[in-house]
Amino acid sequence: MTGASLPNRWKLPDLGLGVGLRTQHFRHITEHWPAMDWFEILSENFIDTEGRPLHFLDQIAEHYPIVMHGVCLSVGSTDPVDFGFLDKLAALARRVKAVWLGDHICWTGVAGLNGHDLYPVPYTEEGLRHMISRVRIIQDYLERPLVLENPSTYLTFASSSMPEEEFIARLAVEADCALLLDVNNVYVTCRNHDLDPLAYLDAIPYEHVVQVHLAGHTDNGTHCIDTHDGRVIDEVWQLYGRVHRKTGGRATLLEWDANVPKFPVLQQEVGKAARFRNGTKIVTSAAA
Amino acid sequence: MNLARAPRLDTLERWMQAVVMHPQGAMPGVRSAPARRLLPQAAVDLDSVVLPSKALSAVERLDIYAHMYYARLLEILVEEYPTTRQILGAEAFERACRRFLARHPSRHRILNRLSERFPAFLARHLPRGPRSGLAVDVARIERAMEEVFDAPRAEPLTAAQFGAIGADAWQRVRLAVIPGLRLLKLRYPANDHMNAVRGKGQPRIPRPRASFAIVYRRGYQVFRRDQEPVQFRLLAALASGATLAAAVRGSVGGRRGNADELAARLGAWFREWAAAGLFSGIERQATGRRRR
Ligand SMILES: [Fe+2]
Repeated sequence: MTGASLPNRWKLPDLGLGVGLRTQHFRHITEHWPAMDWFEILSENFIDTEGRPLHFLDQIAEHYPIVMHGVCLSVGSTDPVDFGFLDKLAALARRVKAVWLGDHICWTGVAGLNGHDLYPVPYTEEGLRHMISRVRIIQDYLERPLVLENPSTYLTFASSSMPEEEFIARLAVEADCALLLDVNNVYVTCRNHDLDPLAYLDAIPYEHVVQVHLAGHTDNGTHCIDTHDGRVIDEVWQLYGRVHRKTGGRATLLEWDANVPKFPVLQQEVGKAARFRNGTKIVTSAAA
Repeated sequence: MNLARAPRLDTLERWMQAVVMHPQGAMPGVRSAPARRLLPQAAVDLDSVVLPSKALSAVERLDIYAHMYYARLLEILVEEYPTTRQILGAEAFERACRRFLARHPSRHRILNRLSERFPAFLARHLPRGPRSGLAVDVARIERAMEEVFDAPRAEPLTAAQFGAIGADAWQRVRLAVIPGLRLLKLRYPANDHMNAVRGKGQPRIPRPRASFAIVYRRGYQVFRRDQEPVQFRLLAALASGATLAAAVRGSVGGRRGNADELAARLGAWFREWAAAGLFSGIERQATGRRRR
């Protein structure tokens, strides 16, 4: 399944196959240094703490490339940008030598509150202008591209005047930010909004995509929830294959956050991506 | 879509937040006064703000977010307060959590601060009685365990550094305690109760009895243990910045008793604290100034 090789605009590397770093695996990883190309961390889990998780992360960051992915940046919020929080993100990025850092195309709270969830922005011209200006401010401050992910969404605002994929494409191009394309979220969102995932994928500007997420979800029949609690379904693998054909390879990450299995199960599941990547298996074993 | 009636972004965000954070769910949220002030038309015609899908109505779609908001935060509180929950029972605990979250919604990006006011909230809002009293004390210990887990690292003093403090220097020496130490004066033997829960599951609710617990981190492990009342007072005095001499005088000074026995007890306490790594620094005051 060879595809065209389309580099991203920043020439950020295809890190290979990685998984989300989870507490349950700290010991396994630091005792066995298992084969894994890279890890993604949830930034907020390592901010405002000097406890055990940071102690393990320091060791793991010595052995594997680390990417920072957050859930609280709230880029779409109409509250003021929290520069103190950006400083903390930047400090963590320096500490773990993060290859890149990002968050989601969403808001997580307003009026000083935090819902700790990824809330959709209305896909309006006003929403787009707002997101673009916020992304620019944050990127200027951090002096690096922000890697923003399409979230799973469960509702559509009546005021939306464009489809999600168009909003994301315009945001990426006009704010000049990078994208993390979560193909499971594409599937979930399209199921929830009666949309065509292939049309969604075709609208994405792939020179802005630097990373891909894979995950499992829960299908409730009437709607899907992005639960990250199981294996990747076939339809999502097909979407992944399509993205690979369009890009020629992007850093690929499996998210598994609930009912977290033993580490070898993650290795095996993310390893399935190899069949779409010209057979490229996980190459890095840190046990050097 | 009627563009003239399209809500502004900040209005829409505030409205959605008021709806999905409403403790009774999305529909009561849509009808609540704060949401109606922001978007009155939503209470009359919800589909003019949120579209239904083929399978779900607008309110069902909002309820997905409303449900996740409480489910996610409840999960965190359940994880942080296992013994408090066991004492109150799962249902009463969840009721208390929902009231707490409605009263103190999360204001921090980092979730470890979510429940910093939870023990005080329980103290104010639980019905009076031994079960509640014990639950509040256990909640204070469980919260302290959360806090010291995340506390800044500090290198504890070694036995040699301790030994080097001569008795003649006691008037001038202050000890710095590690950031990961909490001292808790309690109305119930809460720490004992937590040990009993770990041991055999469902111990009885004890009678009120003052207890003095410390919670601390050694390396990356969190510990809790009880102190004798005088020992606790001494440690509290040291933690508040008193010199060794002033702390000893203030906590054990007025007591009658055998001086040798007191010295032996002091020695044992300091050894215990040193082994637990509770002190991270020695400050020597310039000579000539004495605190009384
Ligand atoms: Fe994702």
